[in-house]
Amino acid sequence: MQKFFAKNGPIISTYFLISIGFWIIFLIIIPQLYMLDLSFRPNLPPLLRGGEEDVYTLTHYKHFLFGSETSKDAYNYVDLKVFFTTLATAVVITVLSLCFCYPIAFYIAKIAEHKTARLLIVSLIVPFWINELLRAFALRILFAGEGVINNALINAGLMDNAINFIGQDVALFTGLTYAYLLLMMFPLYNSLESLDTNQLEAAKDLGSSTLRTHWRIVIPHAKAGIASGSTMVFMLTAGALATPVVLSSPNTFWFTQLIYQWFNMNDNWSRGAAYSVLLLLVSVIFVLLMMKLFRVKVGEIVK
Amino acid sequence: MKSQPALKLLLGTYIFVFLAYLFGPLIIMSITAFNSAEFPAVTPWECFSWRWFAEGKVTYDGQRLAGLLADSKLHEGILTSLHIALGVVALSVPIGMAAAIVLTQVNSKIRTFFYSVAIMPVLFPGVVIGISTVVLWDRIASMTGGGAMADVGRNGVFLTILAQTCFISTYCFLIFVARMQRFDKTQEEAALDLGASQTQVFFKILMPYLMPAIASSAVIAFLYSFENYNTTVFSILSDQTLTTVIASKVRLGISPAISALALVIIAITLTAAISYEVLKRRAESRLAKIKQTQLHQAMPSDRLMKNQKTSFKLPKSMFVILLVCFGVVAGGNYLVSNNLYGEQCIVAADEAKKSNFADQLKLLQQNVETEGATTPPSDPTTGSQGFNNIFGDPNLFKNFGGFDTDAKK
Repeated sequence: MQKFFAKNGPIISTYFLISIGFWIIFLIIIPQLYMLDLSFRPNLPPLLRGGEEDVYTLTHYKHFLFGSETSKDAYNYVDLKVFFTTLATAVVITVLSLCFCYPIAFYIAKIAEHKTARLLIVSLIVPFWINELLRAFALRILFAGEGVINNALINAGLMDNAINFIGQDVALFTGLTYAYLLLMMFPLYNSLESLDTNQLEAAKDLGSSTLRTHWRIVIPHAKAGIASGSTMVFMLTAGALATPVVLSSPNTFWFTQLIYQWFNMNDNWSRGAAYSVLLLLVSVIFVLLMMKLFRVKVGEIVK
Repeated sequence: MKSQPALKLLLGTYIFVFLAYLFGPLIIMSITAFNSAEFPAVTPWECFSWRWFAEGKVTYDGQRLAGLLADSKLHEGILTSLHIALGVVALSVPIGMAAAIVLTQVNSKIRTFFYSVAIMPVLFPGVVIGISTVVLWDRIASMTGGGAMADVGRNGVFLTILAQTCFISTYCFLIFVARMQRFDKTQEEAALDLGASQTQVFFKILMPYLMPAIASSAVIAFLYSFENYNTTVFSILSDQTLTTVIASKVRLGISPAISALALVIIAITLTAAISYEVLKRRAESRLAKIKQTQLHQAMPSDRLMKNQKTSFKLPKSMFVILLVCFGVVAGGNYLVSNNLYGEQCIVAADEAKKSNFADQLKLLQQNVETEGATTPPSDPTTGSQGFNNIFGDPNLFKNFGGFDTDAKK
């Protein structure tokens, strides 16, 4: 510690310590811990807080699993279904994004000429910077009941009645893929770019087929990028709120919307906190899984 | 690497489809911003108009749809977003810088741990960060009772700045870490040996070196803050930012004014991206030229001086620009020739809708009036007579002109 002060001088050291301490303690650790604490407490009006009834309880987690005490079902099918649909969809969208992005990332990194590659990268960056809400809105225009796709199909005489894209969640799934596709692209591209082209040529000279080259050389090399992109896409899809708000049908819920409802509409903050803890838990588990599966460090996932 | 032509064609098609998927919805949305109809659509095209960028429209049934210039809620939202973004930049850039510098000074064991903690916020769902901040500060506010602290703890703008700083600092941190990796520490040592104080070293050596990183992290922090929704929607409490205004508008019903807003944002983004690219290219070519002249000076032989032929080469981007120009001209021509442009068209369309609406009202009233009276059931046999009447209507053939012998003269 003394060495630290000696190295940086008193003024700069104080600045370092205050800003880092403020960030790590006040913005990262304490809020999460307090949220965890609140999730184990009953939902009380402010006056009763800290009183006799304010004891630790598992009631919110029980509610998530078994439903309210008055309901007859053995489990809380509604919330559990939302939870697992969200997770399953997020996994499917992650895999799809990887499949969609891989050929293009490989093309930009290894095949395209320098100029074409840069043009493509710029044209990929532009839609990435447009607000998620507005991109969802663009799809809403396409998929609405009287939207562009329905109008076009009816005018072309291909069908008589409008398809309810939003009610059948086609719009939601397309929108989520649309929103986070590029977060798979950039890590994938970065890791593919560092691959030595000589290796590919060597494999070809030794008689390896294209598929085999990709499976044995390119993909193992890109594993850090795949892990990083998958983590990003999964986290953002599972935690998405803007796209579901714009594109989900009235009867479909995304898990974040459930949290929003407990928090803002039903005014049950501790239950909202409990559900957020669940979401956080899933995210942490997914990151650990990715690290284990691809044998990468956290530092390689976030770059 | 050589690849077969068939594979190349497949790849080209795939890239085209991919880009179409990325840009198609945005282009269609941009077009709907110019349609004067109150539902964002391309077909049925009413009139070309700028009304969604300006005043908006009052519909025939008295509904008010504000355009961009007339929307006071939107303006307030943008102002709040600007305040928040500036606050976030002011906090997260210094935090990110401090964390990145300290990372280079600690030993490797602490470094791994510190790095893991610092990047954690990016891996938290945004919703969770927003909720945890609100929950904590509500607690702080209620613990201190009334007074200034309670006001601060329940101030949406303040909470949003804190919540966004939590994860945006990490993005800044990563930018600074990348820059610090290439920092030459001997510079610092030399300055210290020559008698500079540590504070001087920081301001005279480290800060100038980190300037590009400061600039780019400030821009990134500003953009991330400005477009954030997931965290903001929880932490903003009763205030409104640009994104929450947009979200509540979309939830109430979609209007072309949002398309217009999106188009403005897209235009700003495009300009920024293109100017960034141009600047980068110019810097690169300057660097290449400097290298060339250096090489020439080192070896004064004409062989190495490349003959820079000024043969005119048509860049590929020209074709794209030409295509866009062609599209715009064709579209404009279509609009003008079909009278789908200008005040007259808008007035006519509104009139048509109003009269349509009035007709429907009248019909409704008639139905109500005749409800009590016995309506004569229409005889199925009179159906054919109805057709006869239609074909008997001479006005129907007035504009046909096919049998008009005068036209041939």
